[in-house]
Amino acid sequence: MNEPTLRYEKIDFLGEGQFATVYKARDVKTDKIVAVKKIKIGSRLEAQDGINRTALREIKLLQELEHINLIGLLDVFGQKSNVSLVFDFMDTDLEIIVKDSNIVLTPANVKAYMIMTLKGLEYLHQNWILHRDLKPNNLLINREGILKIGDFGLAKAFGSPTRINTHQVVTRWYRSPELLFGARQYGTGVDMWAVGCILAELLLRVPFLPGESDLDQLSRIFQVFGTPTEENWPGMKGLTDYVQFKLFPPQQLRHIFSAASDDLLQLLESLLALYPPNRCDCTQALQMPYFSNKPAPSVGSKLPMPSNISKIETEKPSLKRKLLDNIDGGSLAKRLQF
Amino acid sequence: MDDQACPRCKTTKYRNPSLKLMVNVCGHALCENCVDLLFLKGSGSCPDCNVPLRRSNFRVQLFEDSMVEKEIDIRKRVLKDYNKKEEDFATLREYNDYLEEIETIVYNLCNNIDIVGTNKRIEQYKKDNKEIIMKNKAKIGREELELEEILEIEKQMEDLRRAEISRLEQEAKKQKIREKEALIDELMFAEGDAKDILNTFAQSIAKKEEVDVVPIVPKVTQFSTGVKFSRGSGSQHNVPVIEEGPLYKYEAPIIPDRCGPDPPSIQNIINGGYLHHVRAENETEKAGGYSSTLPCLRALQDAMAGLYHAS
Repeated sequence: MNEPTLRYEKIDFLGEGQFATVYKARDVKTDKIVAVKKIKIGSRLEAQDGINRTALREIKLLQELEHINLIGLLDVFGQKSNVSLVFDFMDTDLEIIVKDSNIVLTPANVKAYMIMTLKGLEYLHQNWILHRDLKPNNLLINREGILKIGDFGLAKAFGSPTRINTHQVVTRWYRSPELLFGARQYGTGVDMWAVGCILAELLLRVPFLPGESDLDQLSRIFQVFGTPTEENWPGMKGLTDYVQFKLFPPQQLRHIFSAASDDLLQLLESLLALYPPNRCDCTQALQMPYFSNKPAPSVGSKLPMPSNISKIETEKPSLKRKLLDNIDGGSLAKRLQF
Repeated sequence: MDDQACPRCKTTKYRNPSLKLMVNVCGHALCENCVDLLFLKGSGSCPDCNVPLRRSNFRVQLFEDSMVEKEIDIRKRVLKDYNKKEEDFATLREYNDYLEEIETIVYNLCNNIDIVGTNKRIEQYKKDNKEIIMKNKAKIGREELELEEILEIEKQMEDLRRAEISRLEQEAKKQKIREKEALIDELMFAEGDAKDILNTFAQSIAKKEEVDVVPIVPKVTQFSTGVKFSRGSGSQHNVPVIEEGPLYKYEAPIIPDRCGPDPPSIQNIINGGYLHHVRAENETEKAGGYSSTLPCLRALQDAMAGLYHAS
């Protein structure tokens, strides 16, 4: 084995997550820019399977998947007790683009992002894999304007009649109501709901349902879509964590998304259907009139990019993360602002 | 105009030509100096009617009748919330009634008729129409932005036009100087009669001017109808935003060769009796989005893949 650590020349530090540090590096062999994700060894408990579970998932699944809209795993190498994963280098992600107030997202841009997301997800679902952590932060975009779904740390195969899954998946704001009710057997609906939330966020430019706790998340969902009843969600009461909610009347999506066209609202309603079997799957979504209607989706090179593309992803934690930390981290006294 | 006077210090326009009268929401005028003096702390009460006022809300009185100013203020405030448009109403009649109501409210507030009741009415309306108000506000903001953009473009065109004119003027001036020099040269060195030379020059200049003027004029008129032109170019400006890409057409992802018979479609599984052989989902599982067709399809795919494989 020719020394893999020599093959990748570290250029820059990109960021640090819970399980890994990410570096920008140059592949000396191909002279390509790549992202190297160095998995942290973590505690003994996390590493009891020999290697961190999320890393194992990423390696296991991504090695067999290949699609233009999925992040490509180029290489995996070990060094001492570390494992590093080599990915396509991506310049930015959808979260940064949504939050950049200098960027104007045209309907054509939104459509292009949705098409790329759904195409990647369709391929994933077709291969019996649920992503289970879709959020703007995990939709990576390179400077050619190609969107790739990234972070397969929570991805898992589905379609087994017996296996029980955990419902503690998906970042809360993008978590579907059945997961919040503690469903242990679920399908592609959990990803579709997240896609709906992302589409809504692309339109609103702020998170659509920023719940502060799991219960608050549910009540926010029901405040928009109306509290479900046994008629429109049969079996709901049998779910593990089911709680009775105050009855909210459903709102008109038209009033929340006043600038959205009718075909877009139709897609949104179908992605964000409360009753999981009513939710569309990727193939159905992509065949909806919204995608084939005008305006045509922007071609990759026309998609907006943050102006400071060279220095994104600094160590500064994102605002959203800060918000989340505040929520989870309890109640630090806030200074009054005059 | 000369009898304009500050009600507090009694200065008149005659005595102090630079007198500036200011008004606030109550409609009572004060001169600039009095405002400075009374509202040193940023807020205070009107010396006329004791209504608490903020200094920042004072502005120069534009109309002689300060009641007009008051009405403008009130109207601005009322219309901020009463911002429905004609298209928000089903019938013209309803819209007219609505306009009538606005006028009544403005009139009441201007003339101090039932102020408490009227304010309550506004509050009630605000509460009832919160959503529409918000929506229209956003819409108006957007329209204003667009308008601003158009103005900006017009300004640019105007600047361009001015630069063009000044350039032409300068050129004409230079041309004249050159001609003059040529004439003097001619007079100095030519053999002919000075009068003749002058005449021929005058003629050629007149001719040139005729020729010159003609090409300038259409240019200027082109720009002087600038408003329309710049609007036209404004919409051209938007063209790059509306990108002309190919419309999206759904294409099913390519399935790699399974090396076996094709598994049945979901529809086939549901209708073809396959589901009798797998455990049906119970209601709770269905409520969670699980369906027994999925494992059935998956099992069939797995079973059929690779059947044709020969070692």
